[in-house]
Amino acid sequence: MRNSLVELRAAKDWSQGDLADKLGVSRQTVNALERGKYDPSLPLAFKIAKLFRRRIEDVFDPDE
Amino acid sequence: MIAARSSDAESYPHLAPLYGIYMLALGSALVANLVIRVGAEAGWLPEWGRVLLGAASVVPLIVAAWTFWKLLRRDLDEMLQRIVLEGMAFGLVLYVPLAALYLNLGAAGVNLRLQAVDILMTPAILVAIGVALAWRRYR
Repeated sequence: MRNSLVELRAAKDWSQGDLADKLGVSRQTVNALERGKYDPSLPLAFKIAKLFRRRIEDVFDPDE
Repeated sequence: MIAARSSDAESYPHLAPLYGIYMLALGSALVANLVIRVGAEAGWLPEWGRVLLGAASVVPLIVAAWTFWKLLRRDLDEMLQRIVLEGMAFGLVLYVPLAALYLNLGAAGVNLRLQAVDILMTPAILVAIGVALAWRRYR
């Protein structure tokens, strides 16, 4: 599943560690999410969308 | 600024203690097994002592199992939990056929003579391989 986490994080000027801290996950998980290696659970996806003030479908693209 | 990926050394910091706790407990069970066998052969450990030591040697493993689940749920996020659980699933699905193979070949008269260290360490090694494979998948 593709996502726009890298772009959203860069727009906020956050490091992966910053984002990890805000989400309550490890930096490795943020890295895997950004690289599309790991698809988040629904609660984590909602948390990410809420953090960036976007809808889930604006952050994650299920077509890929 | 977008942070770069870290080195392997700092990756997944909570996995090492999780596995280390279990390996320590396994080690204590193996040492107890050795002491029981040596004590029985040399004659300095009576039967009641061997039984007591045999039962007591499992206690660290029970404590390790409890600590393992506690750390797994408390310290690991959802992806790291998934990596560990995939590793455990990998270990289990390989260990069961290996155990069945050992039992049935033994029943068929094949003399395999596995030692305590083989039986206790095999699942731990299989889980470690499973975790490493899952880790690579999510990197």
